[in-house]
Amino acid sequence: MFDPSPAPATGARVCVIGGGGTGAALAYDLCLRGFSVTLLEKGELTSGTTGRHHGQLHSGARYAVGDRAIARECMEETLILRRIAPDAVEYNGGVFVAVSDDEADYAPAFTAACLEAGIPAREVPVAEARSWEPAINPAARRAVWVPDGAFDAFRVPLAFFAAARALGAVIRPFVEAIGFDVTGGRVRAVIARPYGSAGDERIECDYVVSATGAWAGAVGRLAGLDVPITPAPGTMVAVRGRVSDMVVSRLAPPGDGDIVVPQRGLSIIGTTQRVVDDPDGILPNDDDVAFLLGRADELCPGFSKRPIHAVWAAARPLAGRAAGDGRSISRDFMVLDHAAPGSPPGSSGMATLIGGKATVLRAMAEKAADHVCMALGVGEACRTRDYVLPSWREYYAARHYSGGER
Amino acid sequence: MSDTGSPAASIPLLLRVRNGGGYAEFRVDAEPGRTVLDLLERLRSGGRSVPAYRHSCHHGSCGTCGAVINGVEALMCLTKAADLAEPRARLPGGPALPPERDDGGAVVVTLEPLSKMTIVSGIAVEPGPVFAGIPDGASYLRTESAEGRADLPLDPDGAAVHSGAWRPDGRTRFEACIECGLCVSACPVAVPFIGPAALAAVNREREKRPELATAMLAVAAAPDGVGPCGRHLACSRVCPQAVFPGKHIQLLRNALARQ
Repeated sequence: MFDPSPAPATGARVCVIGGGGTGAALAYDLCLRGFSVTLLEKGELTSGTTGRHHGQLHSGARYAVGDRAIARECMEETLILRRIAPDAVEYNGGVFVAVSDDEADYAPAFTAACLEAGIPAREVPVAEARSWEPAINPAARRAVWVPDGAFDAFRVPLAFFAAARALGAVIRPFVEAIGFDVTGGRVRAVIARPYGSAGDERIECDYVVSATGAWAGAVGRLAGLDVPITPAPGTMVAVRGRVSDMVVSRLAPPGDGDIVVPQRGLSIIGTTQRVVDDPDGILPNDDDVAFLLGRADELCPGFSKRPIHAVWAAARPLAGRAAGDGRSISRDFMVLDHAAPGSPPGSSGMATLIGGKATVLRAMAEKAADHVCMALGVGEACRTRDYVLPSWREYYAARHYSGGER
Repeated sequence: MSDTGSPAASIPLLLRVRNGGGYAEFRVDAEPGRTVLDLLERLRSGGRSVPAYRHSCHHGSCGTCGAVINGVEALMCLTKAADLAEPRARLPGGPALPPERDDGGAVVVTLEPLSKMTIVSGIAVEPGPVFAGIPDGASYLRTESAEGRADLPLDPDGAAVHSGAWRPDGRTRFEACIECGLCVSACPVAVPFIGPAALAAVNREREKRPELATAMLAVAAAPDGVGPCGRHLACSRVCPQAVFPGKHIQLLRNALARQ
């Protein structure tokens, strides 16, 4: 049973913009710290990038060689999510598979980097890996076990929303932030517009956090801040049936088409990466499908012979300005204070979260909530590690709906 | 929007999206593989005023994008333009009929919100009735058959992350049900009834956890349990995940009869 002990009410009102995974975790974190929270989402909850994630619960192994700190954080967050959202995680472990000579040569550095990041990776004979998952390419050269898993990219965030709402957060899907009232150099209110309505509302608040992911540029512009964000869509293909229960990844630096994630009755090959200006209405590139299926066959032969269930695309929110396909941009995240030195004047009382990725949604929220506490002089520590979340079902089963048309 | 110059392979559609007392109408030329959800997304991002709709995963996993499409409940993310140009049933279990076309030959595609649910706006609904009858704590995980495969390696952090909640043994996966509510919408039962999605969850919980069998059968035996079901099987016919709630309702009846 979900029965947390929130901090005493601070009396401060925070408006969170963005109803994805980060906004969900942030609304919950802020409620636990005693804030009064209103969250605005222009569409349905998790309808931007969050829900379209392939669902890999990253141990961090994928990032270990490139960035130990991110890898370590993924590992920590993986364990936390498995503990606080146990029913929304399919945990079966993962295997990184070397297919080429170059990849085989990469294995020692990969395993060493994982261990340095606190990820208990271990190389196993290919025959052993194939005894777990015979779908792995028999021509594989080397295999490394890692504690990867899969999570439900919709139900984990929704569990955070259920928790936030149980603590009094007002969650408002289908309500778009369209402007800000800035008076005396400080954001005083968010101007909000329910979907399909002309009747704008003022959401009075003491602080605003934009947790809008790939849309952070557009929301930042409303507040007069040029937010460095690069929407980077990737295509994913789901085929019917589970080729494996473990996540199967390519033992190579992160690239295109190198992850096979099982999920419920499907297997998903992800992903590609390109860079766009506008994250709205992202559709998959048809050319990507044959490429991804071919790459999947190199990991798990026969993948492409399965019936295609769905093809879709999601826009990653890369922090920074893109060069090329954006793969050079770190997957790290940061909190950008709109009143930071060098920013245009008149926008204190607001911050934007940029970057990050699904596995670290709780950590992103913690950092943003820390920032709100600092800005408003509240001394409460993060408590989101401490409680098992309620079921996502409670979000909908709860009687009172606080959506667009109340 | 384009009566000239459309690619030969594209399919002209007239999308009619319920919006309160009327419809918002859009003419589109759709690539055969584009889904209804893709088309709404393209219209919306192109600046058109599209009635509100729910969506999240775009691959039939989250269960948010259900709608009544030309009379039959379906997920918009899995319904392609090509499907709509083929003969289809106009009600659950009905005969497949050629698509309705307008005077210009466009396939008419009418999107209505799911039934039995509160409409938020457009075809977006609040799906509370789908979830309200699912027992508290019903597990969403189940054991996946190893099918001759070796046991998975020991998880070094397994004990540390265990929250104390019930977990299935061995390999785990989610239940097939995505809680989309298509079955609840299609069900013709009009008296108090926890509905097909909840009863499927009740039966799965009974099957997985023998210690809860008595409690689950008590839910099934309640006045709003299996009793109101009239065996219409609309639930099973519209299920996008082959859960077939009608089968679970029958299994509950069988178990009750054995008691």
